Formats: sequence, C-alpha cells, structure tokens
Amino acid sequence: MRLLAVTVSLGAALLVTMTAPSYAAGGDAIFKKSCAGCHYTDGPAKEKTIADQLAKKGPELWYAGSKFQKDWLVAWLQAPKPIRPLKYNSLTDKNPGDHPKMSAGDADAVTEFLMGLTSPEVKAGVIKANNNVQGRNTFTKKMPCGGCHEYSLKGVVLGGKSGPSLVGASKRLNPDWIYAFLAKTKVFKPVRDMPDFTGALNPKDMESVAAYVAAFE
Amino acid sequence: MSRFVIVTATALGLALGAAGSAQAADPKEVYDFYCAQCHGVKGDGKGINVTKDFSTDPRDFTNAAEMAKRSDEDIKAVIRDGGPAISKSPLMPPWGATLTAAEVDGQLAYIRKLCKCKAQ
Repeated sequence: MRLLAVTVSLGAALLVTMTAPSYAAGGDAIFKKSCAGCHYTDGPAKEKTIADQLAKKGPELWYAGSKFQKDWLVAWLQAPKPIRPLKYNSLTDKNPGDHPKMSAGDADAVTEFLMGLTSPEVKAGVIKANNNVQGRNTFTKKMPCGGCHEYSLKGVVLGGKSGPSLVGASKRLNPDWIYAFLAKTKVFKPVRDMPDFTGALNPKDMESVAAYVAAFE
Repeated sequence: MSRFVIVTATALGLALGAAGSAQAADPKEVYDFYCAQCHGVKGDGKGINVTKDFSTDPRDFTNAAEMAKRSDEDIKAVIRDGGPAISKSPLMPPWGATLTAAEVDGQLAYIRKLCKCKAQ
C-alpha cells in the first residue's frame, strides 16, 4: 500500500514536470537558450567598429525595456513579422521573416525579462506621441527620415528600405527611447548606418521628431 | 632601478600605442556600410533606398563627366554637412558627427576612384 502511494506520488510528480508549461522557467533562462545566439543583453554597447556591427546576427537588446512597449513585444514574440524590410545587416537580401515564434507562456516570460533591461539614459515620461508640425517638418523636409525608413501616410506605405520600418511605431516604440536614440547615438548604437544628428538637429528638433514618429500608425 | 624604468617605459609605450591605434576604417568598408544604401554598392546611384518615393537621384559616382565638375571641397562638405551644404537635397544627410576627418578624406579618395576622375 505504501509502495503504491509512493509510486503514485512519483508518477504524479513526473507528470507535472513533463506537462508543466514552459513559462515556469524564467524568461532569462528561456532567452539564454533560445535567443542569446543572435541578441546580446549585457550592455553597454560592445560595437566599436563596422566589423563588430556586421558580425552581429540580430539587434542588441540590452536596452529593450526602454525601447519597446510591453504589449507589442509579447504579441510580436508569438507572431513575429519583419521590422526591417531587409535581412539584418544586408543591403541586398530581403528579410526572410524567419524569426522563431514563441508560445504564449514563453513570450510572457521573455517579455518580463526583456522589459527589465532598461537604460538610465532614457528619461521616462518626457516625450509624448504627438503629430506635431515641427516634427513633421524635420521628418519630411529638414532630415528626410523616409529616405531610409518606411512609414505610412494615409494607409499607403512609403519610404526607403535600409532602416527599420516605422510603420506602427506608436505601438512598438517608447517615445522617450526614440528621443534618446537620436540624442545619444554613442550610448545606444555607436556603430550604425544612420547618421548621428548631433549638431545638425537641436534638442528641440529631436524631441519634436521623436514625438512625431511615436504617433505613427 | 633600470628594471623599473623598462617596465614604466613599456607600459607607457603600450598606452600610447593603444591610443594611437584608432585609425580610420577602410574606405570601401565605410562606403559599403554608410553610403551604399543610397548610392549603390557600385556607386551608380542605385541604392536599395532609391524607390519611387525617393525624390531625387543620388549622385552617380561612376559618371566621370559630372563628378569632375565637383570640387574636392564640395564633396567633403556634402559628406560632412549634407546636401544643403551645396544647395542639394537634404536626402543626403550630414555624416560629420559620424565619420572622422580622416574617414571623410578616405571617402573622397574612394569616390574619385569610383569615377576615375579628378576635379576640373
């Protein structure tokens, strides 16, 4: 009888272990196993040369919690769609759209992990999404960002292909991060194929264009 | 004493060597990374960003006749400060805060190699 009880208990424990949803694991462990081959999360930025950047298989994520919106991230991890029209670090190959998908549980756990990776260089709650005239002027005329980035105008997608698409930026990006990415190039991406606009745009220009981009549908 | 001098001199030499090792990146590598997205890998102005929405034609660096009309100083000014520096399109952005002076010089030399031309 005692043997039966022990056997049943062991069996039940084994069953629980085998069927336990993977979200029981920590997001950091899941990330390390499934994502760390292409993305690094231990900042600050490691890239010092063009070769360093080109050696990377995917974007750095050490400031993911400052960059992304949580709801977007958890949904994207379950149904990833290309953000860059082109394959990462390529100017010729189309993005194959082959980013691995995650289960809902794993996506929740990894999102929790990534949203904890924040940078003190991003001041929270300063930039508010706003379709403002000054930002539009900078985006379309002064420094035409659409030369490299796709964006949507009245439902029509326009723009270049080399940069990440800005379509749907209002749901994906944190407005404060957009500003920080413009104002603090050396901190977030010291080697990037987008210009450092320091000196060409003043802080007010950067704030207004960040607010403008943050409102993109 | 002499050992101390040697160690100190070696350490100083290493430090100076490290500080002096920040050389300009290879001009082709710089071109391919920053410029080719609009000007094309071959320099013919047919980069991946040149879609129907691109409101100007990026400079074709292989056009010797046109490129010869541009002075070296104009080319460097455009790279540093963007198209408006010589009354051209702002679609050419300023790279002056991105590239070092030596890298800008390297791009001028590389562009002159692409056009096989000199300023008239």
